[in-house]
Amino acid sequence: MLWEIKTTVIGSYPVDINRLELIKDYYSGKEVSWNKYISNAVNDMVNAGIDIVSDGQTRDPFINIFTRKLKGCRLRYRTEIIDKVEYLDPIILDDQKFVKRLIPKKNKLIGIIVGPHTLSESVIDLYYKDKKELAFDFAFALKKEIQILQNHVDMISIDEPFFSNSIPEYGKELIDIISNNLTCPTRLHVCGDISNIVHDLIEMSVDILSHEFKASPKILDVFGEYDFSQKICLGSVRSDNERVETVEEIINHIEKAISIFGENVIQIAPDCGQRLLPRNIAFQKLKNLVKAKKEIFCH
Amino acid sequence: MFSFTKEQKVFKISDIKIGGQPGKHPTVLFGGLFFKGTPDFINTEKNLQNILKISKKTANPIIIDFFIRKEEHINNIINFIDKKLPKNVPFSVDVIEPSVKVKVLEHLNKKDLLSRTIYNSINIGITDKELNALKKNTPEMAIILAFNPKDKSPDGKVEVLENGANLIDNGLLDIVKNLGIKKILVDTAALAPGDNSGASIAAIPVIKEEYGLPTGCAIHNVVEKSKWLDNFDYAKRIVDVSSNVSIPLFGGDYAIFGSMKMAEYILPVIAWYDILISEYVENYFGVSPDYNHPRRKLL
Repeated sequence: MLWEIKTTVIGSYPVDINRLELIKDYYSGKEVSWNKYISNAVNDMVNAGIDIVSDGQTRDPFINIFTRKLKGCRLRYRTEIIDKVEYLDPIILDDQKFVKRLIPKKNKLIGIIVGPHTLSESVIDLYYKDKKELAFDFAFALKKEIQILQNHVDMISIDEPFFSNSIPEYGKELIDIISNNLTCPTRLHVCGDISNIVHDLIEMSVDILSHEFKASPKILDVFGEYDFSQKICLGSVRSDNERVETVEEIINHIEKAISIFGENVIQIAPDCGQRLLPRNIAFQKLKNLVKAKKEIFCH
Repeated sequence: MFSFTKEQKVFKISDIKIGGQPGKHPTVLFGGLFFKGTPDFINTEKNLQNILKISKKTANPIIIDFFIRKEEHINNIINFIDKKLPKNVPFSVDVIEPSVKVKVLEHLNKKDLLSRTIYNSINIGITDKELNALKKNTPEMAIILAFNPKDKSPDGKVEVLENGANLIDNGLLDIVKNLGIKKILVDTAALAPGDNSGASIAAIPVIKEEYGLPTGCAIHNVVEKSKWLDNFDYAKRIVDVSSNVSIPLFGGDYAIFGSMKMAEYILPVIAWYDILISEYVENYFGVSPDYNHPRRKLL
């Protein structure tokens, strides 16, 4: 084959936090460091042979990573919006810099951003009373983060799982705000069954579309009905199921996708974040993904 | 000076009341014993009567916080509590290691001391074994340490109380309530200078307004970690004593002031501020001091 597919991840990776160590560090006055958890996730990805790694999103559930550091957000049982949402300081930048130092030169890094629509749908709004206005303020704040981030990562993924429920009429505008005028490529990840919204997704101004093609294989056929300019990140192992797919099964899945999309398949990945899987299972799935790629491209 | 809109809970353990609106009850003071080395029971017994006498004089209740660092000290320390501490005096046990915590609880139960026990503390390091031990040997009162390694601001402290900051399955408040412990004190987890140390004081009114629970902290730990103060020997002791003043001034109910050796300095200082606060809040908010308040006793 003439082109090469890159193996990558969607974002999160399992983390086993040593709570006792954290509390002992508190008593001894030692500053909290998350580097160990980030290293564990990144090293697993690198050791599995993944080409484009993420920071593993080990710090928090993905919504909280962003709302914890944006002005106007207050973390309670869920995030509450208590004031105008504004950007304060870099949110995930330090972790990306740390990962860059960890990974070999041949590996690339993808920075993961939770999209403005998903953020606006996940919080309890006590301030705006207008979801659109809230979503746009999230978009403007995230844009500032991405403008800084693009100098430190090789690609940016915008994670918008809530699009699978429905894309608001201003959905494209939100993605435009954060993806326009960037110097690095962008990927839009929407998980779930997206067969009813493919026509909207292909209008989004991003370079790559990423979906759960393994859990919802029918979306392969739905995409086949459209002409579109974006490349594809093919979900190839499930993230919601502990069964480790065999290499052969993954190869068959990839080959089916190639028969539909051809060289537009440029990434293969798990269907979604792997945070909820046991670590050894997540690792094995990544390893088989890498083996499948090698089988296809080395023969 | 404050008065809270949320109804403030007052808990009683033995003869000591803790909590309520600022100015209602005297600030309760926790002094530590046996931080390091082998416990010195002879000198402790000599000093004990003096400490209790000072407490009686100022009307500020004193609670001895027994540090139990090693399993081999459990028996002797609990025997000391049983034999030498007056039967109407509650005490706290301050233990870090989960395996030691389990054994301490069992010993306290055997000696029939749980009704006078303040358990210091329940925090994010809680293990299943500790939980089971607490179910079988439930102390009368527990301190929840609101340490959140992800967010050291007052909101972060609320988050760990509410949902465990996604480090544990439940919020610390739910964990304690599910154990059947009704008398809860919140410790706002003082941190080192430069690491959001002021948040432990700022969190006091936030937590009291949110939950109405008796709240305090060990602000003295911040002084201990302020290395620059080592160049000011005399002032360091003054700062150490006066740091505790910020707790009642911010509406707090108790201070964990470090070594019991400091009791003779701390108690009169806190009594003086309790009087000051009481005079103000009675005039402005109509909160009259309890019959056993320094203002009634000393003026």
